[in-house]
Amino acid sequence: MALKRKIAFIDLSKNSIEIAPVPVDLRRKFLGGRGINMYLLSKFYSSDLDPLSAENPLIFGTGLLSGMLGFGSRMNITSKSPESGHLGDSNMGGDFGAELVKAGLSHLVIEGKSPTPVYLVIRNGGLEIRDAEKLWGQDTVETQKLIRQELADEKYHVACIGPAGENLVRFSAIRTGMKNAAGRTGMGAVMGSKKLKAVAVRGTLDIAVSDPKTYFRYYLKTLNKLMETKWVQALGRYGTPLLFQYANAMGFLSIRNNQFTTIGDQGYALEAEALEPFATGMLSCFGCPAHCRHRFSIEEGRFKGTKGEGPEYASIGSLGSKLGNLDLQNIIYATELCNRYGLDTISAGSYIAWAMELFQRGMINQDTTDVPLRWGDGEAILRLIHDIAGRKGFGDILAEGAFAKKILGEASKYYLLDIKNFPIEMTDERLPKSFALGMATSTRGACHMRSRPSLDVLSLPEEVLKKIYGGPVSSRFSSHVGKGRMVWWHEIFNAVSDAVGFCRFLTIFSSPHAPQYQQFSRLIALSTGLTFTPKELKTIGERIYTLERMLLVKDGISRKDDTLPKRYFEEAIPEGPAQGEVISHKEFDEMLDEYYRLHGWDEDGIPEKKNLKRLGLDE
Amino acid sequence: MRIKVDEAQCSGCHLCEMVCSLFHLGTMNTEKAAIRIHKDDLGTSLNTPVLCRQCKEMKCLHGEKVIGAQERKKFLWKKTRAEYCPFHALSVLGGKAFHCDLCGGKPQCVKVCTPGALHIVK
Repeated sequence: MALKRKIAFIDLSKNSIEIAPVPVDLRRKFLGGRGINMYLLSKFYSSDLDPLSAENPLIFGTGLLSGMLGFGSRMNITSKSPESGHLGDSNMGGDFGAELVKAGLSHLVIEGKSPTPVYLVIRNGGLEIRDAEKLWGQDTVETQKLIRQELADEKYHVACIGPAGENLVRFSAIRTGMKNAAGRTGMGAVMGSKKLKAVAVRGTLDIAVSDPKTYFRYYLKTLNKLMETKWVQALGRYGTPLLFQYANAMGFLSIRNNQFTTIGDQGYALEAEALEPFATGMLSCFGCPAHCRHRFSIEEGRFKGTKGEGPEYASIGSLGSKLGNLDLQNIIYATELCNRYGLDTISAGSYIAWAMELFQRGMINQDTTDVPLRWGDGEAILRLIHDIAGRKGFGDILAEGAFAKKILGEASKYYLLDIKNFPIEMTDERLPKSFALGMATSTRGACHMRSRPSLDVLSLPEEVLKKIYGGPVSSRFSSHVGKGRMVWWHEIFNAVSDAVGFCRFLTIFSSPHAPQYQQFSRLIALSTGLTFTPKELKTIGERIYTLERMLLVKDGISRKDDTLPKRYFEEAIPEGPAQGEVISHKEFDEMLDEYYRLHGWDEDGIPEKKNLKRLGLDE
Repeated sequence: MRIKVDEAQCSGCHLCEMVCSLFHLGTMNTEKAAIRIHKDDLGTSLNTPVLCRQCKEMKCLHGEKVIGAQERKKFLWKKTRAEYCPFHALSVLGGKAFHCDLCGGKPQCVKVCTPGALHIVK
């Protein structure tokens, strides 16, 4: 039974390990994964909690159905973020989460700091802290290989940091496999601060199922329906790079740090088809039928011999078009470098884009940057990635992420497009107003994955939208009308999806016909025996999202922070299909008002007491 | 009847292993499945599904006085048979070997193999 999975509390200062059951009541309130992680983090969180201190916990949490038949098998890693200084949380695919479940655990709470490098070994519920002196300095792939060798078992799955995390680069990732990452919000730096190089896990325990026959039958039914959708078929063929083409054609791509939003026909160089010569097959995360991940190999040229998995749209955009870099081989290699060092590709691209615009405007020069930082200079990008991970020269400044504003000066601030001290990504949200609001309100700073109502691009009939969202929503992509409702709805849904361990791509994120609350409810009941109505699941999503908001409120965050980079309000898009699009303060405020009202937050964005009581968050 | 494997198509999702254990044992355990995916996940990223080929010789039954046709229909086998299989095709865990009984004629793993790495050959 899923409910038998346990939670382990590891204190690296005291060298102690305690294992406890996950109370059923906690499951009923937060399900698992991101939900229970937030509950656990809330017990530690305060405005003066230093993210790199021993007191900041690093929390691993698998979704309620991770490791079982469902719509993916994902997990979250959560802590206070050294990148933003606020809530840190990152969702990760691959096999690690499922393996943790097979080992009998669903959550890890890692506290304290070890005086010397260590790694954690988990096998079928048993935990051990081991010396990692020899692993310190190794990249994220070598680390995994060396641990498997040391433990003499190729089936261990390892989540680890690379040199970037060891060097406390603020946007370091935690990595598993060739390319999976808990990439965003600097969870790797938290791990590095604890001198924890890796967590290795191996499990062979049974996962009991409440009603095996009906569960299997129902799963097959939903699977077959899902595989019929064009979206899943396209993802299985092209992967996420297919999104690049769409963003470029519509004009919501970040080009040269959002000075432009399309590269027109030049985009062919980075589209999904352009990856074909390097792609050698498609791969899946654990338990996923969609197989949206590329395996690649570069056979000739400057980067000959580079092999691995990916790249995804987010990396192509962040290390490519955002930097004016149209050399796909360079982008693949740069992505691989980030993966090996354990750097978040999205943030790395965002900070490099910031530096390049400052260089373009003469606000910094080669005296500071060591090398010229010209748009599209692939070699300079690679050099910066090396230097950021190693904290060398100008790389040491960029390794501070948004905190480098203090070093680069007041005038530099305008050109770092960030929200809540966290940089925006590979897209530009001046055209799609729902996307813009979602970035402004996301509980982990500028992040599309908290809400991204991608259904908005489909321009569905308004009666269909009303049925989904329970109120009026404009079907026009560039309209702000009803988009507060849309973002509110998806934020809550995504919180539930993460807590269950499902993947965005296999849910309503991708298609109005894809699974959502009804199917989640049935799968949870048949597999775990826990019953939730779709409405109850939605309430859990509200609880998770509002709890996250309450953590931000502790940091003094309110309406004034739910905003967008100044460029979005002050500069209209200069050319391309989205030419002239800009965010109006009036329309933005209207969206925000609607959004707060639906969440049950006051007009300053603070959750109202009666709503906290309704959600059981008033204790 | 047997299951033919097209290794190049395998995405490494493990759904085949999951449904194998669920169908036969009513539990989820990828290690208690007659099919298993060998993953070179930190090297070539290639995946290799391995399961019983339903070969005629049945060297796995080394010296046993049993009827091969009947044994073919069983999922749980004794561990020693895995050692005699020249293809190393049987999974072993906790003193048992897991043998592909073709789910009595309707292999469940094939139903969930969305990349098309598993096919029924009659």
